[in-house]
Amino acid sequence: MSIRIRCLSVHTTTFTKNFDTAIVALVDIEVIKLRSKLKNSLRRWFDENGYLEVSTPLLSPSLIPESSISIFSTIYSSYLHGERELYLVPSPELHMKRIIHKTHQSIYQISKCFRNDEQSGSHHNPEFTMLEYYTVGADEIDSIEITQRLFDQTKLPNTPDHLLPPFKKMSMAEVCYLVGGFDLEKVQNIRDLKEVAKNKGLTLPEKPESWDDTFNRLFLNFVEPFLPQDKPLVIYDYPRQIECLAKDKPNSFYKKRWELYAGGVELANCYDEEDDYTKIADFFRKQATLIALKEGLPIADVDYEMLDIFDGTFPQCSGVALGFDRLLMLQGRFTRVGDLILFNLSDTLKRI
Amino acid sequence: MIKAGQIEKGTALLIKGQPYICVEREFVNPGKGSAFVRVRLKSPSTGQVLRETFKTQDNVEDIRVEDRDCQYLYNDGEFFHFMLTETYDQIDIPLASFEEYQYIMKEGETYRCTFWESELLDIQVPTKVVFEVAEAEEAIKGDTVTGATKNVVTETGLTVRVPIFIKQGERILVNTETKEYIERVNK
Repeated sequence: MSIRIRCLSVHTTTFTKNFDTAIVALVDIEVIKLRSKLKNSLRRWFDENGYLEVSTPLLSPSLIPESSISIFSTIYSSYLHGERELYLVPSPELHMKRIIHKTHQSIYQISKCFRNDEQSGSHHNPEFTMLEYYTVGADEIDSIEITQRLFDQTKLPNTPDHLLPPFKKMSMAEVCYLVGGFDLEKVQNIRDLKEVAKNKGLTLPEKPESWDDTFNRLFLNFVEPFLPQDKPLVIYDYPRQIECLAKDKPNSFYKKRWELYAGGVELANCYDEEDDYTKIADFFRKQATLIALKEGLPIADVDYEMLDIFDGTFPQCSGVALGFDRLLMLQGRFTRVGDLILFNLSDTLKRI
Repeated sequence: MIKAGQIEKGTALLIKGQPYICVEREFVNPGKGSAFVRVRLKSPSTGQVLRETFKTQDNVEDIRVEDRDCQYLYNDGEFFHFMLTETYDQIDIPLASFEEYQYIMKEGETYRCTFWESELLDIQVPTKVVFEVAEAEEAIKGDTVTGATKNVVTETGLTVRVPIFIKQGERILVNTETKEYIERVNK
């Protein structure tokens, strides 16, 4: 405890000293107005379209295990509970799904999410705002139409036309072939995929690498930077090897998942939400193993209590997670997400 | 060796035996994927630009560099001519290697330069530089629209968009990365 108090006092002193300079540079009234305008317009749209706004915890004792995400953890100390490790949520998904299970109601939330190890850049900040909406009774194809209407009816004035509907739609296999010049269906095993990566001049690490990591090398080097930008682009049918909580597309290599790119920026991710207990439990176990390997720690027990909502009564639904700060950056014609996040971490750390 | 996640602007790397300097870096994190870093690397000897996307955990070969002071003499349209202030040795760099600095560097000014052995890899041009306005259009009388701008040319030949009140002979602070006007500097 004494250590924590000492740290706090050191930081307080430094902060006070530089606070005046920091606040002048980081607060921009136009940005505050813009954020508020878009947030209000989104809220109005969801309210008018039958969605209920929810507020779920930012601090949680358990999270969905996801090996691709680094988390922030902290210690909750109280006489009653002793010391408990708590985490800042990287997404509101877990709690929102509990609400859906209980209410069978379409819901939305505009809330803060936290991802450790995300280096601040043009499109990232470790603390960011996510718009997450779940439509009960819908699948991922319905979500494309819903998202187009949302974009059309909530846009900020002067939003450039290339960021507005109608969205272009291309499957992942199509973009790999037409933009990246490789046939996704022919690289379903890691050996063939590595061969393509090497032929394209990529240097692969000597240690074994998962299919999705090598695929992302190819996608990020040869596909993503060259995606068409004349209209927002929905890339659908993501490979099954990129594990996630979307349903499998029957008789195919794919998941019922899409991502939306606008102006070359990855803006939203959508699933037909998986509701099969066994498949979700498998996903949790596999991710827990991958996290243990990554961190060099023993494999954590799966929190089966989190899974009790997948008891056969979880309704058909589709969820979309959309980066609010990125949407604002694009519609407001900014180039850096950091310019729209008040007191964004990289600018704050530079000053303090 | 360093991790690719540690690469920042100005980091010197050896790629396939050739030295490169990082001129741009962007963190990318594909949905449900590992963290990557996308970099733009420049070969100082040829000006050739390489775009690479590494996993942040990938090992990349960094090279030991040292800083030396160099005085910028002039450019002859083909080469920049520098002089090492310690030894008075002259160094010629193809214009194409540092085209972006052509209208920013001032003749006679000393710059901190990054060297790998005897090869100049980077010129550390400050991000904010004061220039003198060498040519400026006269403001049109009665043009009082807020935010109105015009072009001026600095003593180094750089064209900058500035507010209409800036006059020839005045000094302005410019962001050398974006080439944008920041403010007027009082004498």
